[in-house]
Amino acid sequence: MPSFTAKTSTISAALVVLIVLQGFCAVFFLIDIAHDFMEYRQPDFSLLHSSLELTANLALLAGAAVEGIFLAGLLRRQAHAERALSAASGALHDLMEQYFEDWGLTVSEADVAAFTIKGYSIAEVAQMRGSAEATVKAHLNAIYRKAGVTGRSQLASLLIEDLMNGALSAKVGPREDAARHPVQKSGTDG
Amino acid sequence: MTKVKVWDPVVRAFHWTVAVGFAANALLTDAEGKLHEWIGYAIFFLVCLRILWGLTGTRHARFADFPPSVEAAVAQLSDMAAGRNHPHVGHSPLGAWMIYNLLLSLIAICVTGYMMTTDTFFGIGWVEEAHEILVTWAEVSVLAHIAGAVYESRRLGINLPKSMVTGYKEMP
Repeated sequence: MPSFTAKTSTISAALVVLIVLQGFCAVFFLIDIAHDFMEYRQPDFSLLHSSLELTANLALLAGAAVEGIFLAGLLRRQAHAERALSAASGALHDLMEQYFEDWGLTVSEADVAAFTIKGYSIAEVAQMRGSAEATVKAHLNAIYRKAGVTGRSQLASLLIEDLMNGALSAKVGPREDAARHPVQKSGTDG
Repeated sequence: MTKVKVWDPVVRAFHWTVAVGFAANALLTDAEGKLHEWIGYAIFFLVCLRILWGLTGTRHARFADFPPSVEAAVAQLSDMAAGRNHPHVGHSPLGAWMIYNLLLSLIAICVTGYMMTTDTFFGIGWVEEAHEILVTWAEVSVLAHIAGAVYESRRLGINLPKSMVTGYKEMP
């Protein structure tokens, strides 16, 4: 099972609590507002007031949905990163996720691709994802097709190539970069 | 495909009787009638029985088998987010949170409902309001529970609702 940093766990749990609370309150008040609208003939019914309430609660619900999408993204990135602990992993990881997005990989394909780039075998990936090897092979074929490569080594070399071209140094903060390499120009336009 | 016995008859009988009872009281019965009260008492009795069974029952029925864990729940969420399919034999961590939520909500609903029948709290606004808000909370929870069961069945390839009928999970 993946082991998470305490920080990710806390942030995720806090987000879930927030989503649940916002979601429930929005549903609760929307039911309430629906009752108000059904009694629009009553003298104390104000269309403006009720419409504003409706808007506020729909916005609350939308906020909960956005938090859900954000949480899914956070967990996905964390899941892909959990075994990458080298110094470059942060920037390399960003680059990797960017490629997955550009290629239009599905959630499962991106997960398989992350494992594959880190050098895990098909059997290992299947075991870590709780799926059959045939499924992983199908994912791999889709990944290679979408990335326009012929196999595992070409997939990895795409990232290496970008590393060489300085895509990584572009992602390192300029101050940190300058402090470490005072004379070297960073190839930010690569 | 291996068949694993997970839910004993007590767990299954509890699940479906409480489900029917809650649906009846939330949607059908007259909230001021005797039937509503009796169903409420029955649900309270069943929940107490389930709590005892959670301490003494079979392996996957015990609370010790599904402790409330934030870390395990986050791990399950992350499995969902990354499209991974690790099945759980007993209750999943998120399922466990839902069970505790529903048990506590049902107790609170029964308590506030009973209070409304007593002389001390009869006609007191906040008791009735609390009862209704708790019921709405439980209804939303039940919908989330059903959605979760369907979603997890599809994600893991295990028919979870069926396992709550037969008692067996067909693990892939």
